[in-house]
This record gives sequence, structure tokens and C-alpha cells, in this order.
Amino acid sequence: MPEVPQNGGYMVAAYVVTAVILLVYAVSLYRRGNNP
Amino acid sequence: MSLAHKGRWITLSGLVLLGGVYVRALAFTPVERLQGPAQKIFYIHVPAAIWTEAAMILVGLAGIFFLFLKDQRLDRFAEASAEVGTVFATIVLTTGPIWGKPIWGTWWTWDARLTSTLFLFFLYVGYLLVRGAVRDPGLRARYAAVLGVCGMCLVPFIHLSVFMFRTLHPQPIILKPSAPSLPNSMLETWLLSLGVFTLLYVGLVTQRYALSLARETRENGGRDLA
Repeated sequence: MPEVPQNGGYMVAAYVVTAVILLVYAVSLYRRGNNP
Repeated sequence: MSLAHKGRWITLSGLVLLGGVYVRALAFTPVERLQGPAQKIFYIHVPAAIWTEAAMILVGLAGIFFLFLKDQRLDRFAEASAEVGTVFATIVLTTGPIWGKPIWGTWWTWDARLTSTLFLFFLYVGYLLVRGAVRDPGLRARYAAVLGVCGMCLVPFIHLSVFMFRTLHPQPIILKPSAPSLPNSMLETWLLSLGVFTLLYVGLVTQRYALSLARETRENGGRDLA
């Protein structure tokens, strides 16, 4: 049986990037909403 | 509670639940044997891709109805949906290459699915640029509506591109005529993630809609336009 590839770093990078993009946009909307 | 506050609370709930999706995907969902942990990018990449396409379909539909009805609410909604769709497209175009590198051995290839998705992203950016460039509100709304309809027409091509051309990108394993080809534990995590991305879309669009409304109200000397 082949070994499971060790590529967890890519997974972590993708999850971090997604969280950062969503958080930055949510904060941007919050700030613009306070000063429209 | 104002529309902006409702949007904020929905967005906040979505972000908290996204943390729950991360925990479930990383700790309680099995690792796929052939792809390894990188396969778990699937749980964020695919829901983001679905909402990237759905958001453009909604922009196009709002555009069609706007051209007939001239209702400003439709234009406001289309603008909000396009901006949130751009954010989701950014997620798709960053998580995709990060997933592709360990599995395909390359960050990017110019196959039909990837190229058409990049084109959709450019359409989103173009849509927002047109909105920013045209001063006259009536003209801006009409130009944007036409561009939105063009973007909507691209979406079926993106989805079917993996069937029409030989692509490195795999064919759908969930959104296809037959049953999904993955175990229940993975399907449940994916469905949870799709639900959370739906909540985030609703929350972010509500906030963006409220922002447009607030700006228009200010420009019209405080008259309530809701």
C-alpha cells in the first residue's frame, strides 16, 4: 500500500489564505459601513 | 436592528462557524490516501467556487430584471453580489494553485477550467471598475447590468468545460447527475462548509447592500431610499 503523501503544509497555507482574505474583506466592510 | 447590523451579525456567525468547519475538516475528517492532507483544501475550494459562480449568476439575473424594471434595489444587490463574488473568486484562484502544486506538480496550467475561471475573475474586476468609472448612476447601472449578463453566460461554460475539453482539472465529484463519489464523512464536512459559505455570502452581501444604500441616502441629502 503506498504511503500517504506528506503535504500538510499546502493544506495549512490554503486554510490560512482563505481565513485572511475573508477577515480582511469583513473588516473592510465594517470600516466602510461605519464611514459610508 | 438595521440592515448593516443584521449583515454584521450574519457575517460574524459565518466566520465563527468557518472556524468550526476548519476544526471538523482538519481533525475529524479522514485523510484521503492518495492525495494526503492537501485533499482537505477541497472543503474550502469547492464551496468558494460554487459561490463564485452563483454570485455571478445572481448578478446577471439582477441585471436582466433591472434592465426591464429599473428598480435600484436590483442594481444595489448586483453590485454587492459582484464584490462578494470577487472575494470568493480570489479564494478559488489562490487555494486552487496551492492544491494543484502537490497533486499536479504545477501551480497553474492554461486548461479550459482554470483559464475560464481566471476570465470570470477578470470579468468581476471589470464589472467593479466600470461601476467605479461611470459617474452617471443610470448609465452606470445599465452598463453594469449588461456586463453582469455577459458574466452569467460564462458560468455554464466554466462548469461544463471539464466535460467539453481535456483538462488537468478533475470532473465534478458532487455536482454531477449521479451520486457524489466520496464517503459520507467527507460529504458531511463539505456540506457543512457549503452551508457556512452560503451564510458568509448572505452576510457579506447584506452588509455591502447596506453600504450602497447608506451612500445613496447621503448623496440624496438624507432621504430614505430603502
